[in-house]
Amino acid sequence: MTNSVHDMGGMHGFGSIPFEDNEPLFHAAWEARVLGMMLTSMGLFGVTLDNVRSRMEHIPPLTYLKVGYYEKWLITLEELAVEKNLLSKDGLAALAEGEEVPLPKTMEPIPTEGIIGFMATGATSARQIETKAQFQVGDTVRAKNLNVDGHTRLPRYVRGHMGTIIADCGGQVYPEVSARLEGDGPERLYTIQFTARELWGAEANVKDTVCIDLWEPYLESAS
Amino acid sequence: MPHDSHDHDHTDPPSDLTLRVKALETALTRKGYVAPEAIDAVIDTFENKVGPRNGAKVVAKAWSDPDFKQRLLDDASAACAELGFAGQQGEQLKAVENTEDVHNMVVCTLCSCYPWPVLGLPPSWYKSHAYRSRSVIEPRAVLEEFGVSIHEEKEVRVWDSTAELRYLVLPARPDGTDGLSEDALADLVSRDSMIGTGVASAG
Amino acid sequence: MSNTVHDMGGVHGYGPIPLEENEPVFHETWEGRVLGLMMTASAHLKGNIDNTRSESEMMPPEKYLNYAYYERWFVRMEKACQTKGLVTAEELNEVWVGNDLPENKVADPLSPDDVRRNFKAGRNYSRQIDTPAQFAVGETVRAKNINPIGHTRLPRYARGKVGVITGEHGGQIFPDTNATFSGEGPERLYTVRFTATELWGPDANPNDTVCIDLWELYLEPT
Repeated sequence: MTNSVHDMGGMHGFGSIPFEDNEPLFHAAWEARVLGMMLTSMGLFGVTLDNVRSRMEHIPPLTYLKVGYYEKWLITLEELAVEKNLLSKDGLAALAEGEEVPLPKTMEPIPTEGIIGFMATGATSARQIETKAQFQVGDTVRAKNLNVDGHTRLPRYVRGHMGTIIADCGGQVYPEVSARLEGDGPERLYTIQFTARELWGAEANVKDTVCIDLWEPYLESAS
Repeated sequence: MPHDSHDHDHTDPPSDLTLRVKALETALTRKGYVAPEAIDAVIDTFENKVGPRNGAKVVAKAWSDPDFKQRLLDDASAACAELGFAGQQGEQLKAVENTEDVHNMVVCTLCSCYPWPVLGLPPSWYKSHAYRSRSVIEPRAVLEEFGVSIHEEKEVRVWDSTAELRYLVLPARPDGTDGLSEDALADLVSRDSMIGTGVASAG
Repeated sequence: MSNTVHDMGGVHGYGPIPLEENEPVFHETWEGRVLGLMMTASAHLKGNIDNTRSESEMMPPEKYLNYAYYERWFVRMEKACQTKGLVTAEELNEVWVGNDLPENKVADPLSPDDVRRNFKAGRNYSRQIDTPAQFAVGETVRAKNINPIGHTRLPRYARGKVGVITGEHGGQIFPDTNATFSGEGPERLYTVRFTATELWGPDANPNDTVCIDLWELYLEPT
């Protein structure tokens, strides 16, 4: 969702940065398993990164704030398992209680070499697009004031504000479309530089700036 | 939990996350969606193969080799791949250079995007609500908490990773490090200096 | 604080309106006691409405969202009663473990008549100000883009947006200073009407509007 608590840029009240000396890579063994499950199962679940992000944004705000980082991943994986009819919520709970639950095998997992290969090469979000760039580096643009009730990567704090294009990053998978699993719908991506004064008002440091990657449909001409 | 107002129309998950995760992994494994050995391999990748040591090598090479530095600033993914660092969440890397006039720092306000191949998994503070909310509105106060003080006349440039580009800060080379080998230089490059919440220092 | 979770205008994710048929005045007996305590002890707590709001806004976000409405009041008052020295943690603990507290009156409580009279009289937030009005009804204004760490009643969703003044209400206590006890600092209050499309973009209904009461210091000419 666009305006839910996950869109945190500029919010007050979250306190000071929680440092942890000698932080371990994982705080519990289950966190590592969750990370592993996510990276190994997304392909078979047929979901995209944007779709997974969108699911996490739909976690009720209080839960979103209360649970830890990997628990949000776990909630999303559990939701997918139920949605894809692997088993019911009750079935998951019964498994956790140590009960036997019938689970006939219906898939072949992606083999380990495939997962490792994928992690090593990644999968770029860059896409060829034929349409001409609507804006040029150096142009002044305004981030549109969009408040659609779907997934977006246009943060609230830049909407309605003017900035300068500092890079044209070519065609890229468009999150709005990708989150709905309706293909890549590529759009041109730009990096926009906003002054802190423009974003936060006259009290902000006159030198400071924020640079954000924004897709063409998020932008309108302001020159 | 007396104040939990959501509907209890389903079985609540057990409070023990270890059990919940084991249940899900069992289900996914039996159904054929995941192979436990593949999960082990993923974990091994993050525990032993990727991490800030990779990024430090990139930075040290950029400090030592002007041609490499230029290639890094032009196309960071290709430059990092020269050193064997590539992969998921690093497909479109951008290196942003700290200069006399600009101090860069990186955040993802909307989730917690991070350049895995060069920095590994993010620390908890990077994922914290405090860092996600405050970095764009009061970057200098956040930097102060890291013990980093940026002169008022210098620009603090915050990069909010909204798309699938991933940012790596190229910190300034500390003074007094002439003649150091790349390995010795890499030891001076902290993880935080490559996120922009720290600076590289000669110790 | 200004940009905390309490500033909910336009935020998604909170789900459908939780309607309740035959809703009682209080859902729990303690809720009524909290409201009563609030209205009778407030004279000794020496707070003001803006300061109390500000205190709620400073609760950690996950707590703010987790607390029920009257629980938020209670937590705030429980703390204030201790910081203002009305009761001590030890005294509260005595009651928690089931002991009675000996009578030790150090103040005069409000009587039931006082309470009824106070309630009936209400409070007056209007203040005489002598400065001329900077804006007039019908004028177009822009809500300033301010992001103070302190208390404000200028919601995020209106900042930077252009609206039309539809009402002028004279001088009123200014929340931003009143919240910190740095004075009532009365400022002229206006009602400003914003179109939904200005606030939320082209997908909003062009016939819809939102009217917000905003103090003169929140506004600038367009």
